[in-house]
Amino acid sequence: MRIATTTFHNDAVAQMDTLQAELAKTQQQLSTGLKLQSAADDPTGMSRVNQMNVEISASAQYVTNSNAVQTNLQLEEQALSDASNVLQNANSLAVQANNSALSASQRSNIATELQQDLETLVSIGNRTDSNGNYLFGGYANTTQPFTMSGNSVSYNGASAVTQVQISESQSISNGDTGSTAFMNIPTGNGTFTVAAASTNTGSASISASTLQNLNQWVPGTYTISFTDPSDYQITDSSGNVVSSGTYTSGNTLSFNGAQITLNGTPAAGDQFTVAPAGTTSAFSAISNLITTLNSGALNQGQLATAIGSAVQQINNSITNFSNVSASAGSRLNAITTAQSAAQTIQTSLKTNISNITSVDYVSATTQLSSEELALQAAEESYASVGKMSLFQFLS
Amino acid sequence: MSDILSTSISGLLAFQRALDVTSNNVSNSATPGYSVERINLAEQPGSGTTSGYFGNGVNVQSVTRAYDEILAGQVRSSNASYQSFNTLATQAAQIDNMLSDSNTGLTATLQSFVNALQSLSTAPASTADRQVLISRAQALTQQLQTYQGQLSQQSQDLEQQVGNTVSQINTLAGNIASLNAQIAAAEGATGVMPNQLLDQRDSLVDQLSQYVSVNAVTGSDGQMNVYIGTGQALVVSSSAQQLVATPNPNDASELDIGMKSGASNVSDVTSEITGGSLGGLLATRSQVLVPTQNALGQIAVGIATVMNQQQQSGMDLTGAQGKPLFSVGPVNVAPNIANTGSGTVAATITNLSQLTVDDYKLTYSGGTWQLEDTTTNQAVTMTGSGTSASPFQAAGLSIVVSGTPADGDNYVIQPTANAVAGMSVLISSPAQIAAAALGASSAGTSNTGTGTISSPTITNPSAWTSGTYTLSFTSATQYQVTDSSGNPVTSGTYTAGSPISFNGEQIAISGAPALGDTFTVGPNNPANSGDNTNVLAMAAAMSSSVLDGNTTSLNAAANNLVSAIGVLTQQAQANASAQQSVNQSATDTRNNLSGVNLDEEAAKMLQFQQAYQACAQMIQTSQTTFNALITAITHG
Repeated sequence: MRIATTTFHNDAVAQMDTLQAELAKTQQQLSTGLKLQSAADDPTGMSRVNQMNVEISASAQYVTNSNAVQTNLQLEEQALSDASNVLQNANSLAVQANNSALSASQRSNIATELQQDLETLVSIGNRTDSNGNYLFGGYANTTQPFTMSGNSVSYNGASAVTQVQISESQSISNGDTGSTAFMNIPTGNGTFTVAAASTNTGSASISASTLQNLNQWVPGTYTISFTDPSDYQITDSSGNVVSSGTYTSGNTLSFNGAQITLNGTPAAGDQFTVAPAGTTSAFSAISNLITTLNSGALNQGQLATAIGSAVQQINNSITNFSNVSASAGSRLNAITTAQSAAQTIQTSLKTNISNITSVDYVSATTQLSSEELALQAAEESYASVGKMSLFQFLS
Repeated sequence: MSDILSTSISGLLAFQRALDVTSNNVSNSATPGYSVERINLAEQPGSGTTSGYFGNGVNVQSVTRAYDEILAGQVRSSNASYQSFNTLATQAAQIDNMLSDSNTGLTATLQSFVNALQSLSTAPASTADRQVLISRAQALTQQLQTYQGQLSQQSQDLEQQVGNTVSQINTLAGNIASLNAQIAAAEGATGVMPNQLLDQRDSLVDQLSQYVSVNAVTGSDGQMNVYIGTGQALVVSSSAQQLVATPNPNDASELDIGMKSGASNVSDVTSEITGGSLGGLLATRSQVLVPTQNALGQIAVGIATVMNQQQQSGMDLTGAQGKPLFSVGPVNVAPNIANTGSGTVAATITNLSQLTVDDYKLTYSGGTWQLEDTTTNQAVTMTGSGTSASPFQAAGLSIVVSGTPADGDNYVIQPTANAVAGMSVLISSPAQIAAAALGASSAGTSNTGTGTISSPTITNPSAWTSGTYTLSFTSATQYQVTDSSGNPVTSGTYTAGSPISFNGEQIAISGAPALGDTFTVGPNNPANSGDNTNVLAMAAAMSSSVLDGNTTSLNAAANNLVSAIGVLTQQAQANASAQQSVNQSATDTRNNLSGVNLDEEAAKMLQFQQAYQACAQMIQTSQTTFNALITAITHG
């Protein structure tokens, strides 16, 4: 076969060009560590890498989100724990005040201490997060949630809190509203409350009130009236007698599934009211107590009943704080779980990306040496064969 | 004896010529386009005697070049293909590289924007987070515009190259035509083909195949007719047709290729041009630049539509209804410059999910308007009548026509081509990010039923007004909605959970409301600066499938664009590489016939030199013989 001299040279040059281009590409891959330089190298791979990068970025964002929520929830837990301590203090002050031997001024001193507790509690309710936003304001977190007017505390926040996404599929509440934590605390035992009438003259007071049987309970207002110090009758709001009996101090009166224990000696005509439980605030648990202690007009029975009721409210508040705190705690657990899942997912995505984009150094190095060898062979053979010419031998 | 002398002289002359040819071959062994020449020797007619015919030496019959038109044609067609794919691959690789960076690419920027929304959702009142969101919105706009800028720059360069290529083609065509004339003249004068001119002409046609696919046919008179593209005659005998690059009648920034026939008659041959760098440039324009620009536009329109709708469905930090966050360039409607009527066409995007990345042409023909997708060349059905009350609806567009169009008038409609160029962030104050819900609802405090009301969902932000509406139950099953002045707005029969719409919003009541129960639906409390309802909705909307019939999310669209350009580049590169091999092999085959082999020439040189020397020796022999005779006579 006849080969043009130019063909020989052109082909050799073209061959060396190709080999050099391949060598340069392999060298570039080795020096950058990437085998995927642009989408044209592997369009499907690039598309998956982009998608996975987006997922990593989103996952990292969810971790950032959950870190922010975590900080808030930890602040909230701390606030609730502090609030509990304030109320524990108020509780022991209440127990201390429930002593007929105390003088009015001694009670007033206790009331002053309680006043301090109330103000501390309000300031806890008005705590802010790292951004300066109120922890317990809900949506309205730039408005001070609790304001005091006299001893009456009102809630100015919103009734909902922000939901924050902590994973692709999970959103959690970023905190709790002040109304959930401080305002919506059930009164009494959660079903009914018992109060002594202000006209009572005897020394009888309520020492305990429990709901024994929910099924028998008929919601409504009931009046326990003493016709004389040892006889009582219980009437409903229409005046029908529900129950009646003989009373001795420490007796437990039972009606409609409710059990009420009274202590002390009632006077004839004394009355106690059993009413459906409503809600109150942790603040009014203290402020009611302050009002009670500051009012000198109460007799021992009324005082004991009022203090007993206040202690119950305080305990209800503490229970509520611990419930809200437990809910925040479960959200913190959810965050930990979500963050650890995010770590796993991110690691696996990064591995997948690396598998697509990163150079396999062993095979790339091998390829580089074989390409080097091929180029060297092409160059050497060209250098030797290219010199061949018949003209060399003519003289 | 005189025979020996004359015969030998003929040999001397012939081999001198042969050595001339060999030396010319050796000299041109590296000349591109040179076809190896061969001397054709023939025996001179013999002198007849009774003893037989005696030869009279050798005659140089002709010098011919080794050339095969079919092989040359294969080189040209493979070269045209290679140039076309290579141009496409080179141009597409630029876009591919631009879009490919997975760390700073469009998908990453889009995700950064969504991340900023997520961050804001954790601290909705935070000015810093709001500022970050605005910055990310600007970064997103900037990235799209950087892409758009590169696309525009590349388009401009491309159009310039189209213009340059057309002039190159014209120059080559002119030169080929003039060589045709010279060849015809030379052949007429000498009766033989001027090899050098033929080589020159072939070389020009080879060059032409770099720019456009060519088909060259040599007639019996030696003149070559050159056809380009799908068969348009560029050179016929000694006359060349002019190609002209003229602005597209609907888009002056794009050049069409026309072929001049006569003084002013230009026929559009843009779609007929294939192969060569010109074909590659045109393919780049239609397959890479325009689709990329439109796809980026579609994403920009998607971002703006989704975000603006959601922004306007929320309440900002000042307590006001949110304002649009992004603006994008409008739909481009370009009338044909040849339109004679006074019609005007206005188009707006009204349905994001139906929006395509194609361009359209609206033509007034036979008294009706017809829409054609110019990317797929398919007719598109429009609904509506084209009036502002009932616009034409097609491909996510609302088209209003007015004025008096003339028959044949047409308008090119590019829904998304200008979107990115006109994109901007409209909000600069962090307070204006509408992170909170726009509306709020509540149940009356004295309600006796168990009915509960959902939060309002904004369905039409532009219809929403900041009024307070009261929904009251006129019976357990009938409800009525009144505005703040007590005017009834809507009423109906109550079905638990089914949506009730008014004031551009929607609420649902569930449970069992009682007669006289009321529910209030009004604006959100401006104090709710910590409400993140709407910013969460923004994040959700940004990742929902809003494009292509609600099948593709914005991020997926950005990713699809990257891989589509990647696939196109990869294919063009593979095709270019394949065509390069084909071209290499075709060139080798042609060169193996037409090229010079120096060893062969060395052998020929040796052969001719020896023959020359032998002829010279024969003359000496003739002289010696003659001398012997003279000596014999003088000394005899």
